[in-house]
Amino acid sequence: MTAATVSKSHHKPVTAGQMIVTILKYVLLVCLTIIALVPFVWMISSSFKTSIDVFSIPMKWIPAELHWENYVQIWERVPLAAYFKNTAILAVIVTFMQILTSSFAAYAFAKMNFRGRDLLFMCYIGTIAVPWQVYMVPQFIMMRSIGLYDTIWALVALQSFSAFGVFLMRQFYMGIPNDLSEAARIDGLSEYGIWARIILPLAKPAIATLCIFTFVNTWNDYMGPMIYLTTDVKKTIQVGLRRFIQAYSADYNLIMAASLCSLLPVTIVFLFLQRYFIEGIATTGMKG
Amino acid sequence: MSKLEKRNTLIAYSFLAPNFIGFVVFTLIPVIFSIVLAFMNWSGGSNITWAGLDNFRTIFKDFSFTKSNLGISLKNTVCYTVATVPLTIACSLGLALVLNKGVKGAKFFRAVIFFPYVASLVAICVCWNFLLMKNGPVNQFLRMFGLNMNKSWTSSTNLAIWAIIIVSVWRNAGYYMVMYLAGLQGVPAELYEAATMDGANAWQKFTKVTLPMLTPTTFFCSIMMVISCFKIYDVVAIMTKGGPGRSTKMLVTYIFELSFGGEGIATSAQYGVASAVSMVLLAIVLLVTFIQFRGEKKWVNYM
Amino acid sequence: MKKLFAVLMALLMVAMMATALAETTLTVAGWDISTTPYYAAIKEAYEAANEGVTIEWVDLASQDYNVKASTMLAGGDTTDLYCVKELSDMQNWAKEGLIVSMTPSIEADGYDMTKYAGMDSCYVYTGDGEQYALPFRADYWVVFYNKDLFDQAGIAYPTNDWTWDEYAAIAREITEKTGAYGTHYHTWFSDVANWAVCGVDYTLADGNYDNLRYFYELVLGLEDEGVCMSFDELSASGLHYSGAFAQGDIAMMPMGYWYASTLIGYIKDGTASMNWGIAAVPHLEGVEAGSSFGSPTGIAISAASANQEEAWKFAAWMCSEEGAKAVATTGTRPAYVSDAVAEVMASAEGFPTDETSLAALLPSGIALEWPVGDDAVNAVKTAVNEEHTLIMTRELTVDEGITEMNERAAEILGL
Repeated sequence: MTAATVSKSHHKPVTAGQMIVTILKYVLLVCLTIIALVPFVWMISSSFKTSIDVFSIPMKWIPAELHWENYVQIWERVPLAAYFKNTAILAVIVTFMQILTSSFAAYAFAKMNFRGRDLLFMCYIGTIAVPWQVYMVPQFIMMRSIGLYDTIWALVALQSFSAFGVFLMRQFYMGIPNDLSEAARIDGLSEYGIWARIILPLAKPAIATLCIFTFVNTWNDYMGPMIYLTTDVKKTIQVGLRRFIQAYSADYNLIMAASLCSLLPVTIVFLFLQRYFIEGIATTGMKG
Repeated sequence: MSKLEKRNTLIAYSFLAPNFIGFVVFTLIPVIFSIVLAFMNWSGGSNITWAGLDNFRTIFKDFSFTKSNLGISLKNTVCYTVATVPLTIACSLGLALVLNKGVKGAKFFRAVIFFPYVASLVAICVCWNFLLMKNGPVNQFLRMFGLNMNKSWTSSTNLAIWAIIIVSVWRNAGYYMVMYLAGLQGVPAELYEAATMDGANAWQKFTKVTLPMLTPTTFFCSIMMVISCFKIYDVVAIMTKGGPGRSTKMLVTYIFELSFGGEGIATSAQYGVASAVSMVLLAIVLLVTFIQFRGEKKWVNYM
Repeated sequence: MKKLFAVLMALLMVAMMATALAETTLTVAGWDISTTPYYAAIKEAYEAANEGVTIEWVDLASQDYNVKASTMLAGGDTTDLYCVKELSDMQNWAKEGLIVSMTPSIEADGYDMTKYAGMDSCYVYTGDGEQYALPFRADYWVVFYNKDLFDQAGIAYPTNDWTWDEYAAIAREITEKTGAYGTHYHTWFSDVANWAVCGVDYTLADGNYDNLRYFYELVLGLEDEGVCMSFDELSASGLHYSGAFAQGDIAMMPMGYWYASTLIGYIKDGTASMNWGIAAVPHLEGVEAGSSFGSPTGIAISAASANQEEAWKFAAWMCSEEGAKAVATTGTRPAYVSDAVAEVMASAEGFPTDETSLAALLPSGIALEWPVGDDAVNAVKTAVNEEHTLIMTRELTVDEGITEMNERAAEILGL
C-alpha cells in the first residue's frame, strides 16, 4: 500500500500509489528542467526579437517575427571573431599544457617512491584550498614585472600548472593496478615508457574529464582576462561580451544573440563529452 | 641512499619538474608574497616600507557589521554562504533522489540540469539580470500572486543578495546533484531491503538509511561549497557591482576594490591593505578546511 | 700619438656638440599613444614649428601609467617630460623632487596663466605653492541636446545661460509634447550631483554634502514624472548613455565633452541620425553662467631631464594656444580656452555649426570634479558613490542618504 519502492518492486504489479508517485516524479522533473532551461529559452527568444520587443508586456516567448539579422549584426559591431579566436587559442594551449604537466607529475606521485613525496603532495593539496583571490594581487604584480601583462601568456602561465589537475590525475592513477607497471619494469621499460605506453592509454577517462574541466573553465574565465588583458583585440570572449554589453546595452536582442554564440563551443564540447564529465566529477570529487 | 634509489628519485623529480616549476613560480611564490605584503605599505611603485600591523589596524578600525567596510563585506559573505549552502544541498539532494532510480530519460534530465554549470557566467548573469528586472518575467510572474514587485531585484538592498543567491543555487545545483548521485550508488541495496522488512515507510527510509549513508557526501559538498561561497566575486561583479550601496559587497569585492578600483571606486592600489583583507579570507578558508579534516575523521570513518 | 688622440677627441666633441645643437630629441611619456590621435598632432605641429627638435612619445599602458611613470622618475630615467594622469601623483612627484618647478620659467617668460578656466591651480604643489605642471587637456561637461526633438515640441533651443529650474521645465515640456524622454542621466554620481561644485567655492572633499540635495530632488522628481529613464532600469539593464542618446528619443543629456566625438562617429557610421547641439551646463540661481566641472591632463618636466630649457619650451607650447589648436583638431578638448581654439574645435567635421554650440566651448570656469586625492579622499569618493546608488534606487531618502554621506566622510576624514 505504501509508495515504498524497493529495487525488486518491478516483480509486483504496479499499484495506484506507485503510479501517482511516478507521475509526480515526472511532473517535478519537467518543472525542474524548465527552471534550469528558462534563462536559455528566454535568451534564444530574445535574440530573435527587435530590442523594443524584448520587454514587451505581456511577454511573448515566441517572437512574432524572426530577426535573423541580429546574428549577422553582432559580428560586424565588435571584433567578436577575434575574441573567439583568442579564447580558442588560450583554451587549447591551457588544456594541452594542463594535461601534459599534470599527467606527468601525477605519475611520480602515484607510481613512484621518492623522498618527500607525501610532503610535496600535501603542499599541492594545501594550495587548492587557498583562494586565488588571496594571491591574485602579488601574482598580478609579478606577471607585470616580467612583462607578461596584457599578453595571452599571462593567462597561460596562470592556468597551466594547476594543483587541481595533478590531484585529479593522481586519484585516477591510484586506481590502476601497480602490477601493470611492475611487469613493464621487469620487461625493461623505462619509467617514461611506462607512463607513455601503459598508464596514459589507460587514463583516457581521466584525461577526458580534465580536458573538459580545463576547457570549460578557461573558456568561461572572467576575472583572469579582465585583470590581465587591456588591449581590445587581445580580449577573450567573456570580457569581450561584457564590453559588448556596455557598448550596445540598449540592444538587448544583440546582447542575447552574442551571449548565445559565446555559449555554443562549450555546449558542443559538453554534449559530446558530458558522460566523461559527469563520471569524472563523481569518481574524483568524492575522494577529496 | 643507494645508487638506484638516487636515480629513481631523480627520475621522479623529472616527472614533477614541468608542473612543479610552474606551480612554484606562479602559485607558491605569490601566496608567500601576499602573506608578506599584508605587513607592508605598497602602492606598486619602488617605495615599499614595513607597516607592521598597520594594515590590519586600518581594516579593523571601527569594526562593525553595519558601518565598516570589512564588517559589511564579512556579514554579506556569511549571509550569502549561510543561505546558499543549505539551499544548494536541498536542491541537489532532491534532484539526485528523483533521478536516482527507475526514471526514464534520466541521462537527459541529468545533462539538462547540469548544463547551467558549464554555461558561461557573463551570459547567464546578464540573462538573469534581465529576468529579474523591474518589469521582467520574474516580477510579472510574482505580481500574478498579488506581490508588490516594483523594483528590479538588483536595485533593492534586500533582494539584491537574493538575486545572487538564486543564480548561484541555480548554477551549482546540477554539479552537486552529480556528487549525490555518486553517493547514492554507494548505498547498499541490502540496507533498504532490511528497512522494508522492518516495516519502514519511505520517509523513514530516507531519514534512517539514505541521509546517514550520505553524510560523507553532504559533508564533502558543504565544505566545498562553503569555500567557494567565500570566494564569490564574479557573479557580484557582473550583476550588482556590490550595490546598491554596500548591500552585496563581498570580501573579494572589497579586496578587488582596494587593489584595482572600479567604476565609481577610486583606484587606490592599496596592495598592503588588500593583502591584509586577503589574510582574513585565508584564515576563514583554512579554518573551514581544518574543520573538514577533523570532521572527516570523526564522521566519515564508520563506512 | 698622444697628440693625435687629443685632436681626434676634440673633433669628436665638436661633432657631438654640433649635432646636439642641431638636433634635440625630447622624450615624453604618455599613455595609449597609438590609439589617441592628439599625441601625433602635437608632435607634428611642434616639429614643424621648431626645426631641429624631435618629439618622441614613450607609450606606457594606461592602466599602469601611474605606477610605471613613478618608477621611471624615481629610477632617474632620462625621459624629459611626463604627462600627468592623476593629480595625487603630481603632488607626490613634486614632494620627492622628481619634477621641477615651472614657476621660475613662467615668471621669466611672463607666461599667460589666465586661459585655463582655473584648471591650472590643481597643479600647484601644496608644499611650496609653486606650479609643477601645466594642463593641456581638460574634459569638461556640457549638455548635449537633440534639435529634432526640440523642433518637434516647438521649443526654442537652450541658451548658454539657463538655470537648472529652466532646464527641468524644458525637459518636462518636451516629454509632455513629444512623448520622448526630456533628459537622461547616466548612473554615475558625477552625472547626477557633481554640478554642486560648479562656479562656487566648494569641493566634494569638504565633507559636507548638503549642497547635493537640490540635484537629487531634481533628478528623482524627473524620474517620477517619467521625464527621464529610471536609475533602477538603467543599472539593471546596464544601458550605456552613448547608445541611449544615439537612439534619438532623448532630448537632452548632460555629459562630458568627450561624447562629442563618439556622437559624430555614430552619425558618420549610421548608428545614429539626428541634428544635435551642445549648450553650457545650467547653473543655480545666483551662480555665474557657463561654469562647469572637469578633470585636466597635464605635463610636467622631469628633474632628471638633460634638456631642461627645451623641455620647458615644449611644455609651454603644448599648453599654449598653438598646442591647444593641435589638440582641438583631433576632437579633444584642450585646457586652453579661447575663441580661436573654440573655432578649431567647432570646425571638426560633423560638429554643430550654430552660435550657441560654438559659445558653449568657452566655459567661464571649470571646477575640479574631485579634488586632489590621497587615500582618504579616495575612500570618501567610494563612500559617496555607494550612498549615491542608495539614494538613486530609493533605498534611502535624499535626506537620509546625504546624512550618511556626511557621517561617513566625517569618519574617514577625521572631521
